[in-house]
Amino acid sequence: MAKIEPIVGRYVHIDYEGKDYRIYFEEAGQGIPLVCLHTAGTDGREWRHQLCDPDITKHFRVVAFDLPRHGKSIPPAGWWKESEEYKLTSKFYADFVMAFCRALGLDRAVVMGSSMGGNICLPLALDHSDELRALIAIEACEYSPGWWLSWLSHPHIHGGEVCATSVYGLMAPQSPDEYRWETWWYYSQGGPGIFKGDLYFYSVDHDFRGKCQTIQGKIPTYFITGEYDFACTPEMTQETAAKVKNSEAIIMKGNGHFPMSENPQNFKQYLMPVLEKIRARG
Amino acid sequence: MDEFGSQWMQRWQSRVNADGVMKNVGRYFDENVLLDFGDGNAYVVEFRGGRVERLVDKIGPEDRYHLALRAPKASWQKFVQRVPPPMYNDIWAMAHPLHGRLKIEGDVKVMWQNARAFTWALALMREVAH
Repeated sequence: MAKIEPIVGRYVHIDYEGKDYRIYFEEAGQGIPLVCLHTAGTDGREWRHQLCDPDITKHFRVVAFDLPRHGKSIPPAGWWKESEEYKLTSKFYADFVMAFCRALGLDRAVVMGSSMGGNICLPLALDHSDELRALIAIEACEYSPGWWLSWLSHPHIHGGEVCATSVYGLMAPQSPDEYRWETWWYYSQGGPGIFKGDLYFYSVDHDFRGKCQTIQGKIPTYFITGEYDFACTPEMTQETAAKVKNSEAIIMKGNGHFPMSENPQNFKQYLMPVLEKIRARG
Repeated sequence: MDEFGSQWMQRWQSRVNADGVMKNVGRYFDENVLLDFGDGNAYVVEFRGGRVERLVDKIGPEDRYHLALRAPKASWQKFVQRVPPPMYNDIWAMAHPLHGRLKIEGDVKVMWQNARAFTWALALMREVAH
Protein backbone atom coordinates (compact mmCIF):
# COMPACT_ATOMS: atom_id res chain seq x y z
CA MET A 1 0.00 0.00 0.00
CA ALA A 2 1.46 3.33 -1.00
CA LYS A 3 2.05 5.93 1.66
CA ILE A 4 -0.53 8.67 1.10
CA GLU A 5 -0.48 11.75 3.29
CA PRO A 6 -3.69 13.04 4.89
CA ILE A 7 -3.28 16.54 3.40
CA VAL A 8 -6.08 17.69 1.09
CA GLY A 9 -5.56 20.71 -1.17
CA ARG A 10 -8.37 22.89 -2.56
CA TYR A 11 -9.00 26.36 -3.97
CA VAL A 12 -11.29 29.07 -2.62
CA HIS A 13 -12.17 32.31 -4.40
CA ILE A 14 -11.93 35.43 -2.25
CA ASP A 15 -13.19 38.80 -3.38
CA TYR A 16 -11.09 41.62 -1.97
CA GLU A 17 -11.47 45.26 -3.02
CA GLY A 18 -13.17 44.25 -6.25
CA LYS A 19 -10.57 41.69 -7.31
CA ASP A 20 -11.03 37.95 -7.49
CA TYR A 21 -8.27 36.01 -5.75
CA ARG A 22 -8.00 32.28 -6.39
CA ILE A 23 -6.45 30.98 -3.19
CA TYR A 24 -4.91 27.58 -2.65
CA PHE A 25 -5.09 25.98 0.78
CA GLU A 26 -4.24 22.63 2.29
CA GLU A 27 -5.88 21.13 5.32
CA ALA A 28 -5.98 18.11 7.56
CA GLY A 29 -7.63 17.22 10.84
CA GLN A 30 -10.73 18.17 12.74
CA GLY A 31 -11.50 20.44 15.64
CA ILE A 32 -10.35 23.92 16.51
CA PRO A 33 -9.39 25.81 13.32
CA LEU A 34 -5.63 26.43 13.22
CA VAL A 35 -4.74 28.73 10.33
CA CYS A 36 -1.05 28.57 9.43
CA LEU A 37 0.72 31.48 7.73
CA HIS A 38 3.87 30.89 5.71
CA THR A 39 6.98 33.08 5.80
CA ALA A 40 7.93 35.75 3.26
CA GLY A 41 8.37 34.74 -0.36
CA THR A 42 7.33 31.12 0.05
CA ASP A 43 4.13 29.14 0.56
CA GLY A 44 2.14 26.75 2.70
CA ARG A 45 4.37 23.77 1.99
CA GLU A 46 6.36 24.92 5.03
CA TRP A 47 3.60 23.45 7.23
CA ARG A 48 3.58 19.94 5.77
CA HIS A 49 4.91 18.29 8.93
CA GLN A 50 2.25 19.80 11.18
CA LEU A 51 -0.46 18.94 8.64
CA CYS A 52 0.64 15.31 8.86
CA ASP A 53 1.06 15.10 12.62
CA PRO A 54 -1.84 13.16 14.20
CA ASP A 55 -1.01 14.59 17.63
CA ILE A 56 -1.99 17.97 16.20
CA THR A 57 -4.71 17.03 13.73
CA LYS A 58 -6.74 14.94 16.17
CA HIS A 59 -7.78 18.14 17.95
CA PHE A 60 -7.17 20.85 15.36
CA ARG A 61 -8.35 21.50 11.81
CA VAL A 62 -4.99 22.63 10.42
CA VAL A 63 -5.34 24.91 7.41
CA ALA A 64 -2.38 26.39 5.52
CA PHE A 65 -3.08 28.77 2.65
CA ASP A 66 -0.85 30.43 0.10
CA LEU A 67 -1.10 34.22 0.11
CA PRO A 68 -1.88 35.83 -3.25
CA ARG A 69 1.20 35.64 -5.57
CA HIS A 70 2.66 32.77 -3.52
CA GLY A 71 2.74 29.04 -4.20
CA LYS A 72 -0.37 27.99 -6.09
CA SER A 73 -2.29 31.24 -5.41
CA ILE A 74 -1.83 33.07 -8.69
CA PRO A 75 -1.66 36.87 -8.71
CA PRO A 76 -4.89 38.73 -9.48
CA ALA A 77 -5.51 39.31 -13.20
CA GLY A 78 -3.72 42.36 -14.53
CA TRP A 79 -0.60 41.94 -12.40
CA TRP A 80 1.57 42.21 -15.51
CA LYS A 81 0.36 45.78 -16.06
CA GLU A 82 1.25 47.03 -12.59
CA SER A 83 3.42 50.16 -12.69
CA GLU A 84 4.83 49.73 -9.20
CA GLU A 85 6.72 46.83 -7.70
CA TYR A 86 4.83 44.49 -5.40
CA LYS A 87 4.81 45.57 -1.75
CA LEU A 88 2.86 43.70 0.89
CA THR A 89 1.23 46.02 3.41
CA SER A 90 0.09 45.32 6.93
CA LYS A 91 -3.47 46.33 6.05
CA PHE A 92 -3.77 44.01 3.06
CA TYR A 93 -2.15 41.13 4.92
CA ALA A 94 -4.33 41.38 8.04
CA ASP A 95 -7.48 41.97 5.99
CA PHE A 96 -6.72 39.00 3.77
CA VAL A 97 -6.09 36.59 6.65
CA MET A 98 -9.46 37.54 8.10
CA ALA A 99 -11.16 37.34 4.69
CA PHE A 100 -9.80 33.82 4.30
CA CYS A 101 -11.08 32.78 7.73
CA ARG A 102 -14.53 34.17 6.91
CA ALA A 103 -14.59 32.57 3.47
CA LEU A 104 -14.01 29.15 5.02
CA GLY A 105 -16.39 29.84 7.87
CA LEU A 106 -13.70 29.21 10.48
CA ASP A 107 -15.13 29.96 13.89
CA ARG A 108 -12.72 31.79 16.18
CA ALA A 109 -9.63 30.39 14.55
CA VAL A 110 -6.20 30.17 16.09
CA VAL A 111 -3.75 31.97 13.78
CA MET A 112 -0.19 30.64 13.78
CA GLY A 113 2.40 32.31 11.58
CA SER A 114 6.14 32.50 11.30
CA SER A 115 8.36 35.46 10.48
CA MET A 116 6.10 37.88 8.59
CA GLY A 117 3.29 35.50 9.57
CA GLY A 118 4.38 36.03 13.16
CA ASN A 119 4.63 39.79 12.85
CA ILE A 120 1.11 40.05 11.41
CA CYS A 121 -0.16 38.50 14.64
CA LEU A 122 0.38 41.88 16.32
CA PRO A 123 -2.09 43.77 14.07
CA LEU A 124 -4.45 40.78 14.33
CA ALA A 125 -4.27 40.93 18.12
CA LEU A 126 -4.94 44.65 18.04
CA ASP A 127 -7.82 44.74 15.54
CA HIS A 128 -9.38 41.28 15.24
CA SER A 129 -9.33 39.69 18.71
CA ASP A 130 -13.12 39.38 18.70
CA GLU A 131 -13.03 36.99 15.76
CA LEU A 132 -10.04 34.89 16.85
CA ARG A 133 -9.26 32.43 19.64
CA ALA A 134 -5.49 32.76 20.11
CA LEU A 135 -2.34 33.78 18.25
CA ILE A 136 0.90 31.85 17.93
CA ALA A 137 3.46 34.38 16.75
CA ILE A 138 6.62 32.56 15.69
CA GLU A 139 9.82 34.53 15.12
CA ALA A 140 7.87 37.74 15.74
CA CYS A 141 8.67 41.14 17.18
CA GLU A 142 7.47 44.71 17.01
CA TYR A 143 10.06 45.83 14.42
CA SER A 144 12.41 43.77 12.27
CA PRO A 145 14.50 46.08 10.05
CA GLY A 146 17.21 45.42 7.50
CA TRP A 147 15.65 43.04 4.98
CA TRP A 148 14.05 45.20 2.28
CA LEU A 149 17.00 44.83 -0.11
CA SER A 150 17.21 45.53 -3.84
CA TRP A 151 19.51 42.54 -4.36
CA LEU A 152 16.57 40.22 -3.77
CA SER A 153 14.92 41.39 -7.00
CA HIS A 154 17.65 42.52 -9.35
CA PRO A 155 18.19 41.63 -13.01
CA HIS A 156 21.89 40.92 -12.45
CA ILE A 157 21.22 38.32 -9.77
CA HIS A 158 19.50 34.94 -9.87
CA GLY A 159 16.38 35.63 -7.81
CA GLY A 160 15.73 32.11 -6.64
CA GLU A 161 19.27 31.46 -5.49
CA VAL A 162 19.76 34.79 -3.77
CA CYS A 163 16.42 34.69 -1.91
CA ALA A 164 17.06 31.15 -0.74
CA THR A 165 20.66 31.74 0.27
CA SER A 166 19.85 34.98 2.08
CA VAL A 167 17.68 33.04 4.52
CA TYR A 168 19.80 29.91 4.85
CA GLY A 169 21.79 31.29 7.78
CA LEU A 170 18.57 32.01 9.66
CA MET A 171 18.35 28.28 10.26
CA ALA A 172 20.09 26.51 13.12
CA PRO A 173 23.10 24.29 12.39
CA GLN A 174 21.40 21.63 14.54
CA SER A 175 18.43 21.42 12.15
CA PRO A 176 18.60 18.42 9.82
CA ASP A 177 20.30 19.16 6.49
CA GLU A 178 17.42 17.57 4.64
CA TYR A 179 14.89 20.01 6.05
CA ARG A 180 17.15 23.05 5.89
CA TRP A 181 17.72 22.44 2.19
CA GLU A 182 14.03 21.73 1.67
CA THR A 183 13.32 25.18 3.10
CA TRP A 184 16.01 26.61 0.81
CA TRP A 185 14.22 24.91 -2.09
CA TYR A 186 10.89 26.55 -1.25
CA TYR A 187 12.61 29.91 -1.18
CA SER A 188 14.19 29.34 -4.54
CA GLN A 189 10.74 29.05 -6.12
CA GLY A 190 9.07 32.37 -5.35
CA GLY A 191 7.79 34.67 -8.09
CA PRO A 192 9.99 37.58 -9.17
CA GLY A 193 10.03 40.35 -6.59
CA ILE A 194 7.67 38.55 -4.22
CA PHE A 195 10.14 37.84 -1.42
CA LYS A 196 11.39 41.42 -1.58
CA GLY A 197 7.82 42.76 -1.66
CA ASP A 198 6.93 40.69 1.40
CA LEU A 199 9.97 42.09 3.14
CA TYR A 200 8.57 45.56 2.62
CA PHE A 201 5.95 44.48 5.12
CA TYR A 202 8.45 42.63 7.31
CA SER A 203 11.03 45.41 7.62
CA VAL A 204 9.23 48.65 6.72
CA ASP A 205 5.43 48.66 6.96
CA HIS A 206 5.34 46.50 10.07
CA ASP A 207 6.40 48.89 12.80
CA PHE A 208 4.60 48.24 16.06
CA ARG A 209 6.95 50.30 18.19
CA GLY A 210 4.71 52.21 20.57
CA LYS A 211 1.64 50.14 19.64
CA CYS A 212 2.26 46.83 21.46
CA GLN A 213 1.02 48.31 24.71
CA THR A 214 -2.34 49.11 23.09
CA ILE A 215 -3.16 45.43 22.53
CA GLN A 216 -5.86 44.68 25.08
CA GLY A 217 -5.01 41.00 25.51
CA LYS A 218 -8.53 39.68 25.07
CA ILE A 219 -7.00 36.55 23.56
CA PRO A 220 -3.61 35.04 24.38
CA THR A 221 -0.56 35.60 22.19
CA TYR A 222 2.18 32.98 22.37
CA PHE A 223 5.53 34.15 21.01
CA ILE A 224 7.92 31.37 20.01
CA THR A 225 11.41 32.18 18.66
CA GLY A 226 14.44 30.09 17.77
CA GLU A 227 17.82 30.96 19.27
CA TYR A 228 19.47 31.12 15.83
CA ASP A 229 17.10 33.74 14.42
CA PHE A 230 19.30 36.71 13.61
CA ALA A 231 16.44 38.68 11.98
CA CYS A 232 14.25 38.53 15.06
CA THR A 233 16.48 37.53 17.94
CA PRO A 234 15.20 35.96 21.16
CA GLU A 235 15.86 39.27 22.88
CA MET A 236 13.74 41.16 20.33
CA THR A 237 10.88 38.73 20.85
CA GLN A 238 11.14 38.90 24.63
CA GLU A 239 11.15 42.69 24.59
CA THR A 240 8.02 42.71 22.41
CA ALA A 241 6.22 40.08 24.47
CA ALA A 242 6.88 42.07 27.66
CA LYS A 243 4.75 44.86 26.18
CA VAL A 244 1.83 42.71 24.98
CA LYS A 245 -0.85 41.90 27.54
CA ASN A 246 -1.81 38.23 27.98
CA SER A 247 1.28 36.95 26.18
CA GLU A 248 4.27 34.77 26.86
CA ALA A 249 7.63 34.31 25.15
CA ILE A 250 9.07 30.87 24.51
CA ILE A 251 12.64 30.50 23.21
CA MET A 252 13.59 27.35 21.30
CA LYS A 253 17.08 25.92 21.73
CA GLY A 254 18.61 24.47 18.58
CA ASN A 255 16.10 25.98 16.20
CA GLY A 256 15.96 28.95 13.89
CA HIS A 257 13.67 31.20 11.89
CA PHE A 258 11.69 28.39 10.17
CA PRO A 259 11.03 25.93 13.00
CA MET A 260 8.03 24.26 11.36
CA SER A 261 10.00 23.32 8.25
CA GLU A 262 13.68 23.31 9.32
CA ASN A 263 13.29 21.25 12.49
CA PRO A 264 9.69 20.12 13.01
CA GLN A 265 10.53 17.61 15.75
CA ASN A 266 12.29 20.22 17.85
CA PHE A 267 9.45 22.68 17.18
CA LYS A 268 6.84 20.19 18.26
CA GLN A 269 8.13 20.01 21.82
CA TYR A 270 7.53 23.76 22.15
CA LEU A 271 4.29 23.90 20.17
CA MET A 272 2.35 21.09 21.84
CA PRO A 273 2.15 22.69 25.30
CA VAL A 274 0.84 25.86 23.63
CA LEU A 275 -1.82 23.91 21.74
CA GLU A 276 -2.78 22.15 24.98
CA LYS A 277 -3.25 25.49 26.70
CA ILE A 278 -5.43 26.72 23.84
CA ARG A 279 -7.56 23.56 24.00
CA ALA A 280 -7.93 23.91 27.76
CA ARG A 281 -9.21 27.46 27.32
CA GLY A 282 -11.78 26.25 24.82
CA MET B 1 48.56 25.04 12.99
CA ASP B 2 47.98 28.78 13.13
CA GLU B 3 44.28 29.40 12.61
CA PHE B 4 43.82 31.68 9.59
CA GLY B 5 47.55 31.54 8.86
CA SER B 6 48.93 30.68 5.42
CA GLN B 7 49.13 26.94 5.99
CA TRP B 8 45.61 26.88 7.37
CA MET B 9 44.35 28.76 4.32
CA GLN B 10 46.14 26.37 2.00
CA ARG B 11 44.35 23.48 3.69
CA TRP B 12 41.07 25.30 3.14
CA GLN B 13 42.00 25.87 -0.52
CA SER B 14 42.66 22.15 -0.95
CA ARG B 15 39.37 21.30 0.73
CA VAL B 16 37.42 23.67 -1.54
CA ASN B 17 39.17 22.38 -4.64
CA ALA B 18 38.33 18.78 -3.75
CA ASP B 19 34.66 19.58 -3.22
CA GLY B 20 32.17 18.33 -5.78
CA VAL B 21 29.35 20.67 -4.75
CA MET B 22 31.62 23.69 -5.12
CA LYS B 23 32.60 22.50 -8.57
CA ASN B 24 28.91 22.43 -9.45
CA VAL B 25 27.46 25.54 -7.81
CA GLY B 26 30.58 27.69 -8.20
CA ARG B 27 31.28 27.12 -11.85
CA TYR B 28 30.57 30.76 -12.75
CA PHE B 29 32.05 32.24 -9.58
CA ASP B 30 35.01 34.11 -11.05
CA GLU B 31 35.89 36.85 -8.60
CA ASN B 32 38.72 38.03 -6.38
CA VAL B 33 37.69 38.45 -2.76
CA LEU B 34 39.67 39.82 0.14
CA LEU B 35 39.22 37.94 3.41
CA ASP B 36 40.52 39.84 6.43
CA PHE B 37 40.62 37.71 9.58
CA GLY B 38 42.16 40.39 11.78
CA ASP B 39 45.52 40.17 13.58
CA GLY B 40 47.34 40.70 10.28
CA ASN B 41 45.87 37.69 8.49
CA ALA B 42 44.38 38.88 5.19
CA TYR B 43 44.27 37.20 1.79
CA VAL B 44 43.09 37.87 -1.71
CA VAL B 45 41.28 34.71 -2.75
CA GLU B 46 40.93 34.13 -6.47
CA PHE B 47 37.83 32.03 -7.16
CA ARG B 48 37.73 30.58 -10.66
CA GLY B 49 35.29 28.01 -12.04
CA GLY B 50 34.39 26.43 -8.71
CA ARG B 51 37.95 26.43 -7.40
CA VAL B 52 40.21 28.64 -5.36
CA GLU B 53 42.74 29.22 -8.10
CA ARG B 54 45.18 31.28 -6.05
CA LEU B 55 45.69 32.63 -2.54
CA VAL B 56 47.64 35.86 -2.14
CA ASP B 57 48.94 36.28 1.40
CA LYS B 58 51.33 39.16 0.80
CA ILE B 59 48.94 41.66 -0.70
CA GLY B 60 50.78 44.11 -2.93
CA PRO B 61 49.96 47.13 -5.09
CA GLU B 62 48.93 44.99 -8.04
CA ASP B 63 46.51 42.70 -6.23
CA ARG B 64 42.92 43.52 -7.19
CA TYR B 65 39.66 42.49 -5.59
CA HIS B 66 36.03 43.51 -5.92
CA LEU B 67 34.79 42.50 -2.53
CA ALA B 68 36.22 42.45 0.98
CA LEU B 69 35.02 40.70 4.11
CA ARG B 70 36.55 41.98 7.32
CA ALA B 71 35.91 40.83 10.86
CA PRO B 72 37.93 40.48 14.06
CA LYS B 73 39.61 37.12 14.64
CA ALA B 74 37.25 36.40 17.54
CA SER B 75 34.25 36.57 15.18
CA TRP B 76 35.83 34.31 12.56
CA GLN B 77 36.80 31.82 15.28
CA LYS B 78 33.14 31.50 16.18
CA PHE B 79 32.13 31.25 12.53
CA VAL B 80 34.46 28.30 11.90
CA GLN B 81 33.37 26.26 14.92
CA ARG B 82 31.86 22.94 13.94
CA VAL B 83 28.58 24.09 15.48
CA PRO B 84 28.83 27.86 15.38
CA PRO B 85 26.93 29.80 18.04
CA PRO B 86 23.83 31.89 17.25
CA MET B 87 24.51 35.05 15.23
CA TYR B 88 27.87 33.65 14.01
CA ASN B 89 26.75 30.78 11.77
CA ASP B 90 26.54 32.78 8.53
CA ILE B 91 28.30 35.78 6.98
CA TRP B 92 24.99 37.60 6.34
CA ALA B 93 24.01 36.93 9.95
CA MET B 94 27.28 38.49 11.07
CA ALA B 95 27.01 41.38 8.62
CA HIS B 96 23.31 42.19 9.06
CA PRO B 97 22.76 45.79 10.20
CA LEU B 98 21.31 44.55 13.50
CA HIS B 99 24.61 42.87 14.36
CA GLY B 100 27.59 44.35 12.48
CA ARG B 101 30.08 41.67 13.50
CA LEU B 102 31.50 41.48 9.96
CA LYS B 103 31.92 44.19 7.35
CA ILE B 104 31.25 43.59 3.69
CA GLU B 105 32.98 46.23 1.61
CA GLY B 106 33.38 46.95 -2.08
CA ASP B 107 30.98 45.71 -4.74
CA VAL B 108 28.39 44.07 -2.50
CA LYS B 109 26.50 42.91 -5.58
CA VAL B 110 29.28 40.41 -6.25
CA MET B 111 28.52 38.72 -2.94
CA TRP B 112 24.80 38.42 -3.62
CA GLN B 113 25.38 37.21 -7.18
CA ASN B 114 27.58 34.41 -5.91
CA ALA B 115 26.04 33.93 -2.49
CA ARG B 116 25.36 30.22 -2.83
CA ALA B 117 28.86 29.25 -3.92
CA PHE B 118 30.57 31.77 -1.68
CA THR B 119 28.78 30.72 1.51
CA TRP B 120 29.32 27.06 0.64
CA ALA B 121 33.06 27.63 0.23
CA LEU B 122 33.34 29.58 3.47
CA ALA B 123 31.41 26.92 5.37
CA LEU B 124 34.11 24.42 4.37
CA MET B 125 36.44 26.31 6.72
CA ARG B 126 34.66 24.42 9.51
CA GLU B 127 36.18 21.20 8.23
CA VAL B 128 39.67 22.70 8.14
CA ALA B 129 39.36 24.05 11.66
CA HIS B 130 38.62 20.61 13.07
